[in-house]
Amino acid sequence: MSKKTFLLMTVLVLMLALFIAPAGAQDEDRWDGADDLDVNPLACPMMDGEEEMAEEDMADEEMMEMPEYDGGVAVDAPDLAGQDIVLVDVPKLIGIGYFAATTQGMQEAAEELGNVTVTTDGPTEANIDDQIQFIDNYITQDVDGILFAANDPVAIAPILRRALEEGIHVVGYDANSEPDAREWFVNQAEFNGIAKAMIDSLASEMGEDASFGIVTSTFTTPNQARWIAEMWAYAGECYPDMTWLETVEAQEDATLSFNQATTLINKYGEDLDGLFGMTSVATPASADAVTQAGLCGEVAVIGLATPNPMKPYVNDGCVQNVVLWNPIDLGYAAVYVMRAIVDGELQPGDASVMAGRLGELMVVNGSEILLGLPYVFTAEDINDFDF
Amino acid sequence: MTAPATTPQTESKQPTLIDMLRNIITSQEGVLFIIMVIAVLFLATRTDKFLTVDNLLNQGRLLTEVGLVAVPMTFIIITGGIDLSVGSIFGLTAIVLGIAWQDMGMALPVAIVFAILVGTFAGFMNGWFIVKVGVPPLIMTLATLALYRGLAQGLSEGASVRGYPDWFYELGQGEFLGVPSQLWLLLIAVIIAGILLSRTTLGRTLYAIGNNEVAARFSGLQVNRYLLFIYTFSGFMSALAGYIFVSRVSTTRSDMGTGLELDVIAAVVLGGSSIFGGTGSIPGTIIGVVLIQLLKNGLSLTGVTGDATIVVIGSVLIFAILVNTFIQGRKAA
Repeated sequence: MSKKTFLLMTVLVLMLALFIAPAGAQDEDRWDGADDLDVNPLACPMMDGEEEMAEEDMADEEMMEMPEYDGGVAVDAPDLAGQDIVLVDVPKLIGIGYFAATTQGMQEAAEELGNVTVTTDGPTEANIDDQIQFIDNYITQDVDGILFAANDPVAIAPILRRALEEGIHVVGYDANSEPDAREWFVNQAEFNGIAKAMIDSLASEMGEDASFGIVTSTFTTPNQARWIAEMWAYAGECYPDMTWLETVEAQEDATLSFNQATTLINKYGEDLDGLFGMTSVATPASADAVTQAGLCGEVAVIGLATPNPMKPYVNDGCVQNVVLWNPIDLGYAAVYVMRAIVDGELQPGDASVMAGRLGELMVVNGSEILLGLPYVFTAEDINDFDF
Repeated sequence: MTAPATTPQTESKQPTLIDMLRNIITSQEGVLFIIMVIAVLFLATRTDKFLTVDNLLNQGRLLTEVGLVAVPMTFIIITGGIDLSVGSIFGLTAIVLGIAWQDMGMALPVAIVFAILVGTFAGFMNGWFIVKVGVPPLIMTLATLALYRGLAQGLSEGASVRGYPDWFYELGQGEFLGVPSQLWLLLIAVIIAGILLSRTTLGRTLYAIGNNEVAARFSGLQVNRYLLFIYTFSGFMSALAGYIFVSRVSTTRSDMGTGLELDVIAAVVLGGSSIFGGTGSIPGTIIGVVLIQLLKNGLSLTGVTGDATIVVIGSVLIFAILVNTFIQGRKAA
């Protein structure tokens, strides 16, 4: 019995050690919430006369970063150029507005093309194992192509590789997998693009010398940290007079976000011109805080958010710009990209692809296709979207 | 299967054989097995991609985790208990495995053992509180469902651990003698558990506890010791399943195994275990696990979408239990 007790104590101590270890490791005190990775700010908004130079810059940039194609290849895929193809779309989950919108875009593209059938099917919860099983079953069914939005970039990779091995084309959108597990990925927005849209929106609403605070999830959340780093770099380059007051953490919790935004409003008072919400929870919560403080128009709220929760604030004029991308276009582009692969019109090394009404989309980062600049929802069009 | 029961000429000579066969066929497991055969035949006529060796072996790979956890869950449900924390132990094990290897610098084999120990200990904690403090299993494991998941999320800080060496994936993605590696583990676990439950004191004691715990205690059975064992065993099997899952999907995340408890309990109950305790068997549970997996797979292959599939599975669950209640009721009468 005492031997048993000893063993249990050991396990208990080891478990305790687990909690202490990571706690000691994160003593860094980052006040701005940005990460340490390289930043790549986009060119400032073009003024008259500067146009030529700016374009030259962009050309340089493109020449510089055209990395090798790092996607995978469908092995011995049957040649179905111009023929009818059957596609399946497996999003992270079904039954939410966001993926209903991507599905809508896919159906629009399929209708336009006429020779594509696409079915959306997926788990009802964003569960990695369920998603893998769906893809597995569709491989057994022998579809011609798989479109996916990964719940986890690594977990989904083995099953996608198997699809490629069986000659099934694979294209990702919204959430990527490891690059070699799919052929192309339709990237809805690059970090620097989002950063530029956010900062430009603030400049146009409150002027180029605005002071602002940020409500983010946590300083270590990868996407948010990346956006903030890019915003920092872009603002520093294009709007040197802007003042960065403070970044606060609010998890992805509505109540906490509201409290944190209220704290910023009270702390900086008159000095505060704008609030950025970095998550789809923080943005509506910040808008709510500004509304309740009676500061609509004096403190701008700009953020990443889906349209539905933002509609009340946009419709009553408290929020002017909601930054995101258009998920309908995202789904639409994914189907066009798939068709282009099957038809042999998009091959490794190509620099762009034609995508119906969206025109020519650029290839970035080797095997990603950039949907374009972020989409800014305003009072004029936000009511046309339902997600 | 049904042929001998309807052959009349053997009736006069060997009535006992017919009785035995009838008993097998009308037993819980027998009825369920027939439902499964009907479902498989039906699905096989709808698509030629369903009843192939490759597909079936692949489904075997996918059902292993649920199968492993369903074994101790059968034990627990037979005693009239429940373990809702299995999915969280599964996730906690995955995270501990990743962190022990990457952040604490353990060698990977040591990290695997350590993680399974932590999962087993998590199960032991359930058992200890249930036995020593007298917390009802439903309440205790509902609490640890949240607690262990919270620990997993806290430990992982939302990040996942990846990039394991190749040998690590053998168990989850490799094959041994042409059969998915992890399926062998499930097979061994099922055989041992089946024998334990039907042929040993342990098994008889579990049924006794489920039928009447107080009577079992007064009969001098070591009820506490057995209960402590099965909850610890449940922790161990959940941890093992978690390890296999990490090996299969090659990454570690804190949300792994979310909802696993429901899949497992559904399979066990479909397999004929009564949630009130006292009945249930390992063969029944395994048929339950296999039936649900084959329905998911087969329906998907015939073009039924995911949301419709879960509706069908729910209906089959109710149907199977109704049919069984009806048949068992007639037998008793």
